[in-house]
Amino acid sequence: MNITPARAALGLVGLGIGVVGVLALREATLSTHDEAVAGEAELIVFAKTHGGEQGQTLDEMVEAQLLSCRLEISSDFAGPIEPLGNGRFRAVLVPALDQTNRRQFRGCVEDFVTDHLQIDVVELNDLD
Amino acid sequence: MKIIAWLAGVGTLLAGAVYMVVSLNRWEWNRALFFGLIVLIAEVALGTGLVLRRLARLEYLTKRETSGDPAVRQILTETRPSRDRFAWMRDSTSKLNVFITFLVGGGVILSGIAWMVDKVASKTSSPAGEQRLANQLDPISYPAGGLLLDDITVLAQEVPGADDAQIRQLLRRGGRP
Repeated sequence: MNITPARAALGLVGLGIGVVGVLALREATLSTHDEAVAGEAELIVFAKTHGGEQGQTLDEMVEAQLLSCRLEISSDFAGPIEPLGNGRFRAVLVPALDQTNRRQFRGCVEDFVTDHLQIDVVELNDLD
Repeated sequence: MKIIAWLAGVGTLLAGAVYMVVSLNRWEWNRALFFGLIVLIAEVALGTGLVLRRLARLEYLTKRETSGDPAVRQILTETRPSRDRFAWMRDSTSKLNVFITFLVGGGVILSGIAWMVDKVASKTSSPAGEQRLANQLDPISYPAGGLLLDDITVLAQEVPGADDAQIRQLLRRGGRP
């Protein structure tokens, strides 16, 4: 196959786009934690379940997933996970989360972790 | 049907890849794995389809080469109509097909130009312009009484030395010598 200048240029452009894309994805998924952040963070989530096992309530499924995701960050829950009604739950994390922990925790909570459970993070803000 | 299947495969591949990158960016590893699996399945399906298509083409070519009378196949190949649909414009400028084509095309173009000229010209005349033209032509118009000879002019022709060929022609038309 003949390599014409146009093909070579096109290949270089594709290679450049690929390299930039991989570097951008690496940057976006790299854990770069700051020093311990003082304060607390409030978490409010909305959860729903469909086709779950009998005998398992939404509360315990949410608690299981949040506790599981808590293991990926350096914060802990200060107190129980409170049900607010209508599928909403509230929890407080201590200490507050830095930017990486915040993205990591949100990603874990909204990910496919527990079968038949879908959680959306409504709020994840620092408490004054 | 094949086109729909290929489009579905490519669409699945692209959508899966996009969602995989988005999930990775959001730190949703299980979702990223799921969409990565979708991408892998679509990729394998498309690759298998491409290989099967190439194999089918090879099989067709082999079968065509080995079947039938070679002489008949050669005749069919040689008499196959050309796929160059514009060859007549290049290699036959001395033939009538090109001449007629350009003649008809030129006629159409000239008719269009003539139509435009007619339309433009019709817009240049107006009642005021016609009146002005009539005034300009007035000095060279025929006399009010016409071109009939009066008696004075006729008698003047009897004078010796008078010789007007046009007046004599008019007199002859009138029956005079």
